[in-house]
Amino acid sequence: MKAGNYAVPEGLHYSREHEWVKLEGKLARVGITDYAQSKLGDVVYVELPEIGKQVKQVTEQKTKEMEIGAVESIKAVSAIYSPLSGAVKEINAALQERPELINTSSYNEGWICVLEPSALEAELKQLMDAKGYAEYVKKL
Amino acid sequence: MGYPYIPNTREIRGQMLREIGAANIDELFADIPPQIRLKRKLKLPPAMSELEVKRHVQSILAKNNPFTQMLSFLGGGVWPHHVPAHIRSLVQRSEFLTSYTPYQPEASQGMLQALFEYQSMIAELVGLEVANSSMYDWATALGEAALMCARVTRRQKFIVPKLISKDRLSVLRNYASGPGLEVVEVGYDRRTGQLDLEQLRAELGGDVAGVYIENPSYLGFLEKQGDEIAAAAHKTGALFVVGVNPISLGLFKAPGDYGADIVVGEGQPLGNPVSFGGPSLGIFACRAELKLIRQLPGRLIGATTTLDGKARGYCMVLQTREQHIRRERATSSICTNEALCAVAAAIYLASLGPRGLRDLAELCANNASYAIKKINTIKGLRAPIFEAPHFNEFTLNCDDTRVSIQKLNAKLLKHGIQGGKPLRTEFPELGETALLCTTELHSRKDIDRLIDALTEVLGGRR
Repeated sequence: MKAGNYAVPEGLHYSREHEWVKLEGKLARVGITDYAQSKLGDVVYVELPEIGKQVKQVTEQKTKEMEIGAVESIKAVSAIYSPLSGAVKEINAALQERPELINTSSYNEGWICVLEPSALEAELKQLMDAKGYAEYVKKL
Repeated sequence: MGYPYIPNTREIRGQMLREIGAANIDELFADIPPQIRLKRKLKLPPAMSELEVKRHVQSILAKNNPFTQMLSFLGGGVWPHHVPAHIRSLVQRSEFLTSYTPYQPEASQGMLQALFEYQSMIAELVGLEVANSSMYDWATALGEAALMCARVTRRQKFIVPKLISKDRLSVLRNYASGPGLEVVEVGYDRRTGQLDLEQLRAELGGDVAGVYIENPSYLGFLEKQGDEIAAAAHKTGALFVVGVNPISLGLFKAPGDYGADIVVGEGQPLGNPVSFGGPSLGIFACRAELKLIRQLPGRLIGATTTLDGKARGYCMVLQTREQHIRRERATSSICTNEALCAVAAAIYLASLGPRGLRDLAELCANNASYAIKKINTIKGLRAPIFEAPHFNEFTLNCDDTRVSIQKLNAKLLKHGIQGGKPLRTEFPELGETALLCTTELHSRKDIDRLIDALTEVLGGRR
């Protein structure tokens, strides 16, 4: 699916802060969307979360417990907010050497981390499907 | 009123108040609670003319006894050195003086290049690959180093030697208090002053972010266990931080060569005058490892070549770490540097060269050795209190004379001599001890004058 020029793959769940969630059994892989990477421009550094960190699902009132890192482009830094509550199980260490993967492959090789969700069912309702996110992006 | 050069007239103030909808100035300050307002005039003398103010201030200044006009042995964190005339002449050039914030590389190549040269020389001097373009002073550089260790290791404990300046320790504790970093002091060997390695190893564990030592130490002696301390720190995943007087590196091993991950220090002796309250120059350097550089505080100047490959160009790099981009998530609480002091340091180092710096360091150390030797001929005096090599500062103890350091200094002052810094309040366990400093400014004759005065003050006993 497309939202203007931006790719919005089906089967993923999306947050209003432009993170995507891919369910893999009991785990959830997380990254930022094509729209987000495009607005950031060339990513030069990705700050990854600590493995084991407990994070909360992002809400309107953002706090540090909702952060799973930050992406830096040449002139801006944006926090990455967790689309789900849970524990960080795995991080994409490849981003330390090749932060540009966020730009070239935001839905695949550019994933940020894998979470073990603690309240998956309830929290999924807060996220959008591809269609919902595509409409959300078009209005921005 | 009636000064045409003061644009803030009664009329203009009235206009401004009308514009914001306040009837008078009191209404503007309505938010200030009445109980904290001063309900009387300030106790100030009547207004003075410019000439009267000038005479008044000069009469106050005349009460000073500046160390430039007397023989002084004060050091202890800043050190008096000769500042060659060309340094002041060059840093006073408007190109340097007014281009303090080089955010626009297209308009600031000269300043950026000077700062890049500063960074390069500091990096070479301390034996590490990266240096930033300066911090406020040694103490704030140390505070930032502790926070950097915590960010890099994600740990919350920072180890320091007990024998460091209490002022520096207080600034460090202040920096550490916000993020909740614990500062732990490790003791020393009473005979040699060297860090207690057993206690250090006992404190080291999976929770220690960094281990800090100073070389030369605050009390002037060398910490000879650099290699062992580095190994102990690294074994537990902690970073090793070393604080320096940069002049000493003309003579001693660079901290990068005995395992330092971060080097901080006071850059004032590099071409900057001693003055009460500063400005000082904080040295900050680290190893060229991405995880360290990303967490480095302060400004960093980089060099590159133009697209056609013909010219060298300079600009600020890794700015995303800093406050003007990263805001409250910035790596440090400094968003500036001591640019002009850093330029002075660069000119100073370039003027001296490696050979000159070595000669200077030797001269400072030799003067201290000479003073130590002479002081020990005076009955009741002991220098230094620790058995270890010293650089240009040393301790003097007068426990056996029944005279306090305070009294000794008061008597020296009558001979036109400023004695050493009393250490009683900082380290009561060291008894009646003072910290003395010699540099190239002290001639043998000056030191002999100190010895003669001490001998006379103590009743002529040798």
